[in-house]
Amino acid sequence: MIDFLMFIQERLADIGIDFRMKIVIEYFPFFMQGMLKTIGMSLAGVLIGCILGLFIALGKMSPLFILRLPFVWYINFFRGTPLLVQLFLIHFAVMPLIMSPVNPIASVIVTLSLNSAAYVAEIFRAGIQSIDKGQAEAAHSLGMNKLQVMWYIILPQAFKRMIPPLGNEFIVLLKDSSLGAIIAAPELLYWGRAATGQYYRVWEPYLTVALIYFILTLSLTYLLNYLERRLATK
Amino acid sequence: MISVKNLKKSFGDVEVLKDISVEIDPKEVVVVIGPSGSGKSTFLRCLNRIESITDGHVLIEGVDITDKKVNINEIRTEVGMVFQQFNLFPHKTVLDNITLPMITVRKWKKADAEAKAHALLKKVGLSEKAKVYPDSLSGGQKQRVAIARALGMEPKIMLFDEPTSALDPEMVGEVLEVMKQLAKEGMTMVVVTHEMGFAREVGDRVVFMDEGYIVEENEPNQLFNNPQNERTKAFLSKVL
Repeated sequence: MIDFLMFIQERLADIGIDFRMKIVIEYFPFFMQGMLKTIGMSLAGVLIGCILGLFIALGKMSPLFILRLPFVWYINFFRGTPLLVQLFLIHFAVMPLIMSPVNPIASVIVTLSLNSAAYVAEIFRAGIQSIDKGQAEAAHSLGMNKLQVMWYIILPQAFKRMIPPLGNEFIVLLKDSSLGAIIAAPELLYWGRAATGQYYRVWEPYLTVALIYFILTLSLTYLLNYLERRLATK
Repeated sequence: MISVKNLKKSFGDVEVLKDISVEIDPKEVVVVIGPSGSGKSTFLRCLNRIESITDGHVLIEGVDITDKKVNINEIRTEVGMVFQQFNLFPHKTVLDNITLPMITVRKWKKADAEAKAHALLKKVGLSEKAKVYPDSLSGGQKQRVAIARALGMEPKIMLFDEPTSALDPEMVGEVLEVMKQLAKEGMTMVVVTHEMGFAREVGDRVVFMDEGYIVEENEPNQLFNNPQNERTKAFLSKVL
């Protein structure tokens, strides 16, 4: 692997490009650590987001206007303001009320969860409302109550349709977790900035970071396509 | 068995059922006919409150289902319903379609539910289809599974909402056959249909609806051969 990188460095040097693989190699363990944090934070964000999102979606579908209102405005707020602003608010204003010192990773996870909950809620709502009305009618006609209809009939069918948009949300979240670098959460981009700070070089660290993000999102895309195909055949 | 008193139903400003009163006796097979838009499907859907009731009363075995305190889910286990579009659960096998309500609503043990489901599938002639998903069934087979699923709850009344209207012509017979069998066994049935042959052969009484009213009701021979109302005559002359 190192030989291969040095080979590329020499070929680049031949055509007059100065690319120092030494930086990439030295920071590689940190990039890997950062990558694991990136994956972990995004995964936690999307999982918590799914749980919150389900409740927000159900709340937003309530027949009572007054009950719907807070959920509608939750979604409006988190979709209508920049994620970075939300991160600052949570990291510098909200989290200090709960913990001290504030753990930036916790701030990122909380922000990603709350933000993705808003998007996931809309995905859930669209999924649930896409199921034919006759399904619920048939289930009700057999004596099932609302909870049973939702749990046994609507959600399993809706979930299948929600996988593609949920996958997209996960990919978006994975990329957006890079904002954590700004509040010094030691994720992938944070280590890219660290390398830049140490060597005063920009191409090597940032290209490497970009490549790792790209590999992550690309593998996720293929994983989701596979999952979709497998569920479709059932 | 079923007692409908001054039933009214509106969708927004549109009054679909204007003033329906009818009594249905145990073991009676009542066939509801009428032009599309006459409110016959809406009438049927009010009988188990799948459609909310605007005004009037519907009594099932003496229990007024318009009463907000009534546990409607309990009533619905006694009133089976079969839909035009089958509405089988596509993510469940045929067997699971039938056992799911038995297990979740009736709280039966899985083994008991499956034994009962197999017996019902045999009854509708689909024993070999227990393990397949609804997708791979023909329309007629789907509707027979839907009937078996409704029968699984051991209802006292069965409602049929145009059960053969979405079927290819060659599949209508197999579904009607199952319904005839059910009528012979003494099930109380309310059937909305365009199958005049079925109405004549199986119906104890035919109800003709138009524009939200029951215009005329009588035993099949009388209603088909000697209709009294002008609108009934006009409708029958088009369909017979």
